[in-house]
Amino acid sequence: MRRLKRKDSRKYLRSVVAMSELTVQDARSIIEEQIETLKKRNKEPEWMTKLRYKAMDAFFEAPHNDPIIKDPLDYIAKAEEEMYPEVKSLDELPPEMLALLDRLGIADVEKKYIAGLAVQSDTSIVLNDFLKEWRKKGLIVESMEDAVRNHPIVKDLFLKQFNPYESKLAAYHTAVWNGGIFLHVAQGLKVPMPLHLFFLIQNSAMAQAPHIIIHAEPNSEIHLIEGCTSPVLVRHSLHLDMTEAYIGDGANVKLSVLQNWPEYVHTRPMTRARIGKNAEFINTTVGLGTGKSNIANPKYWVDEGGYVELNGIILGQKDFYVDLGGEMNLDALGARGLNASKSVIMDKSSVITRGLIRANAPKTKGHISCDALILNPEARMETYPGLISQVDDAELSHEAAIGKIREEELFYLMSRGLKEEEATQLIVKGFVNPLLKDIPVEFVVEIRKIIEMAVSGGM
Amino acid sequence: MMLQIKNLEVEVENKKIINSLNLSVGKGEFHVIMGPNGSGKSTLALTLMGHPNYKITNGKIEFDGKVINDIPVDERARMGMFLAFQHPEDVEGVKIIDYLRLLLEKVKGIEPAKALQIIPSKAKEVWFSADMLSRYINVGFSGGERKRFEILQALLIKPKLLILDEPDSGVDIDSLSLISHKIRELYEQGTSILLITHYGRILEHIDPKIVRVHIMKDGHIVMSGKEELVEKIEKEGFKKVFEECGCNE
Repeated sequence: MRRLKRKDSRKYLRSVVAMSELTVQDARSIIEEQIETLKKRNKEPEWMTKLRYKAMDAFFEAPHNDPIIKDPLDYIAKAEEEMYPEVKSLDELPPEMLALLDRLGIADVEKKYIAGLAVQSDTSIVLNDFLKEWRKKGLIVESMEDAVRNHPIVKDLFLKQFNPYESKLAAYHTAVWNGGIFLHVAQGLKVPMPLHLFFLIQNSAMAQAPHIIIHAEPNSEIHLIEGCTSPVLVRHSLHLDMTEAYIGDGANVKLSVLQNWPEYVHTRPMTRARIGKNAEFINTTVGLGTGKSNIANPKYWVDEGGYVELNGIILGQKDFYVDLGGEMNLDALGARGLNASKSVIMDKSSVITRGLIRANAPKTKGHISCDALILNPEARMETYPGLISQVDDAELSHEAAIGKIREEELFYLMSRGLKEEEATQLIVKGFVNPLLKDIPVEFVVEIRKIIEMAVSGGM
Repeated sequence: MMLQIKNLEVEVENKKIINSLNLSVGKGEFHVIMGPNGSGKSTLALTLMGHPNYKITNGKIEFDGKVINDIPVDERARMGMFLAFQHPEDVEGVKIIDYLRLLLEKVKGIEPAKALQIIPSKAKEVWFSADMLSRYINVGFSGGERKRFEILQALLIKPKLLILDEPDSGVDIDSLSLISHKIRELYEQGTSILLITHYGRILEHIDPKIVRVHIMKDGHIVMSGKEELVEKIEKEGFKKVFEECGCNE
């Protein structure tokens, strides 16, 4: 890997890789090289390196089924096409990222954080002091690389909800995962303000696969906000993040993921969660910039009296392809699940939602709701709700409403003097608003701005 | 003339609803249109505002000296026209306060900070508390709340011409009285009024001497007069009035 000299710091380089000639053998050696680099760089324990190699073998055997990415081999060498120089301070960030941080009021992040993980609380920057203090109480927030070395428990949690043989993309992630967070909340610990996490990914060919583990012990509480401000400093074309959440009995965890990808990237977020007895997991995903394509099928297993909620907000733009699934397994008495999505679809984009709820135990309840607002005749929406009941006394239901903006509603707002664009923006923001209930206000402001720009661009 | 309607003919879904309708509303005048159901009153209101489903097949509408037949609704609004709807639309997810702030900014050029001072005090005048302002536009509103919210928007915008389509339908007695008061307030501030109604009750707080009344039937105006026309209709009903005037022929 070449590094730019300091004086070139605003530019990025393009490394030329001949794509068409890549053979399986080439791919194997590229992945091997990546694994070896990571092993050394991270000083990984042996079990992790073994896991990576196992996943590499799996990569060549596992099935692959993706409507957009026909051949994952194409993306392996492409992992690093363009990259920014190493960033040591905020001043060296690309201007568009600085502007984003600025708008969110977090441009004052301490310079020492910039090399790795930056954490922000609801209203102000979480200083080192904050994490130190909460660390004493039992909150661990560490980069995944550090956590793998520092906490034996990670071995019991890492890749326990996925199997590398299930798909080529899961296997590739596992082989070359890099970056990500380990979040551990001790039993009974309630963290009162949301933790905002964003990563700075730089100077790594394999930086496209962060691994996140959320380990909430019984009766703990936390709200984690991920992304949105994730400045990806390496330009790559495939992003594969994996999240494994373990929600202990009686715990209450919110995970809000704000995706705002550049339009050249394909994203395949993989999320799974086990929800304990009487525990609650609220998973909100806001796909504002979904990238060229975004396919996700989060899976959840809910124990007795537990509750899971998947709120999906999707903004389909340009020719983007978005496919949001969501499998909920209600495995014990009284478990409940809600899969609610709201999509705004414009230009020539396609959005598919396919929630699936399985009632595997008595007195379980599940509901799928899918609303879509279609702004252009060329935009496309499909929805496939799935309800499977293995028992007699489960309550499963679904509803879907797909439509255009109502003419009368638009006329009403325009009759007060709002232009068509302004009225449409208002209606679209109103449409997604109910699902933004758990998102802190500064992010909601940012989300609304992005929606406004998208609507204007689409008109 | 604030509003001049000449020989207007309007079709909805290829059906002629309004024909040879003539009406002039001068600056600072107060006009009332009455008429039985189906006489075309609401069609007139929506046509004046430029609803795309109402096609003008003949005649013209002038506002402030300009023919507005082909001018879109939002431009008409910015020229100073305002329609208080008979059935105001629900707008899910949009908080009243956010909407009104945007409206004042975009339409009146009022800074958001200033708007945030103006809105709550005006809202209070039509019995909208701070809590009400964070509700979604018209969602779950009672009849009275809907109509009072229409009036609130008119009070904030202060239009040159206020068209009210049955501001009294589905409204409780107290709201009715308040709305009547507020219409007078706008009138006194110089807004021209075109009020569509079934009943005289809404005129409770309006000086009878200023009111000009028009009766609509089958898509045009068949009678015009003063306030006593309202009393006559309230007492005798449209049927008898039409028989007497020979308007049924």
